[in-house]
Amino acid sequence: MNRRGLLALAAGAVSGLLVRRPRAAAGELRPPGALLPGDFERACIGCFRCAEVCPTRAIRFPAGAGLDAGHPFLALRESACVLCMACTEACPTGALARIPPVPERVAAEVRIGVPVLDRKACLPWSGQGVCRLCAYVCPVGKRAVELVGPQQAPLFHAEACVGCGLCEEACPEEARAIRIAPASAHREGGA
Amino acid sequence: MTLRGGRTTQALRRGVLTLSILTVIGTPFLAARMADRTWPQWLFVGATGAARALGLELLDPLMSVGVLVARGVRPGLLAAAVPVLLLVLVLGRFFCGWLCPYLPLLAVSNAVRWGLGRLGIPTLDLRFPGWLRFAVLGGVLGGTAALGVQLAALVYPPALLARSAYRLAFGLGLGGGATVLAAVWLFDTTVSRAGFCRSLCPGGALFSLLGALSPVRVRRAPAACTDCTVCDVVCNLGQRPMTDRVDAGCERCGRCVASCPTGALSFSLEGRRP
Repeated sequence: MNRRGLLALAAGAVSGLLVRRPRAAAGELRPPGALLPGDFERACIGCFRCAEVCPTRAIRFPAGAGLDAGHPFLALRESACVLCMACTEACPTGALARIPPVPERVAAEVRIGVPVLDRKACLPWSGQGVCRLCAYVCPVGKRAVELVGPQQAPLFHAEACVGCGLCEEACPEEARAIRIAPASAHREGGA
Repeated sequence: MTLRGGRTTQALRRGVLTLSILTVIGTPFLAARMADRTWPQWLFVGATGAARALGLELLDPLMSVGVLVARGVRPGLLAAAVPVLLLVLVLGRFFCGWLCPYLPLLAVSNAVRWGLGRLGIPTLDLRFPGWLRFAVLGGVLGGTAALGVQLAALVYPPALLARSAYRLAFGLGLGGGATVLAAVWLFDTTVSRAGFCRSLCPGGALFSLLGALSPVRVRRAPAACTDCTVCDVVCNLGQRPMTDRVDAGCERCGRCVASCPTGALSFSLEGRRP
């Protein structure tokens, strides 16, 4: 490369460095093991390997061509994460930190999002009967979903929840009371 | 040391390219059709940007450098990044001529250019200054650092192609990456022959930069050369082997060597260019 090429490289880099990003409002649900927002976007090269190996096809990519086009997100409403950890094993850059598919490690380290319960829609909470489906499917168990009262109404404990979305998927069609929300929204008081 | 046998090289190149395209386009389709996704994942996962082949991890230098500017040195990535970097140091911009999955689209683009010419419809063939691709590379890397988003994933044709193939295979529609890809193809077809590869692709610029001292060069034996210009015409990247003007932009595809009617061109291994 000649001097002009070097100058062009430097000029391009400087003008690139001047770009400022509009702050994204809401976070997305990222695959398990994802680094914190900010770090994740820096590390993810959009190679789609996580989606390629995902057995439930829960990992998707945005359809557009914007800044987030290369970032995988979870479509838990359509398909829950079964916590197989194949995506963390496939990620080439560590944007998804490797977590072995051991129940204890998964329960301790995976934090995809937090459960948000709409008590008006939930069958036991709204007095429409006993349901318990969310508690049955929860891979973490009582630490994450506690059943309370005579109607066995679910009480979620966000700090123990891995955010896999199995409860969201299992929640009866007429209720659809559970939603896994990005943890950042929870911290801002979204739950 | 020189290497003739241009045809053998071309057969080898086509084989390698076919394998690359099969993995970029074929494996997502294969994966999508395996209900339980239990294909041997050590054999192959991913595409050219970040491939795992036969248990070996390989990372495209543009991706390695992108992560480097966004997050600093990640020791965990060195095993995947360094072997590829060394290969580029030795072979220069060979990825563009041997592995890039955009090459078939470029071949179609060239064929369409030729067809339009036959029909009497003019196509532009603008040439841009040599520094432009380095400015683009600088912009992509600077923007990656400033925005905290890997921009290469959004503009680099191999990455776009791989993601589009994945979307198609999984029935998710083509997505915005395919639009960018279509724009690149239209640019190459109507504005400048292989103009994106030559003057805008950040990957091509990085490979030229890293491979500037590559000892693998196209050399001409002036005594055998008849100045027929076939080599200059066949080159997608505007190199001029006939007048010994071949620089780091050469993708080592060897089409000039294979097309030379008198065998005056060959690949040679040598030290720094005089």
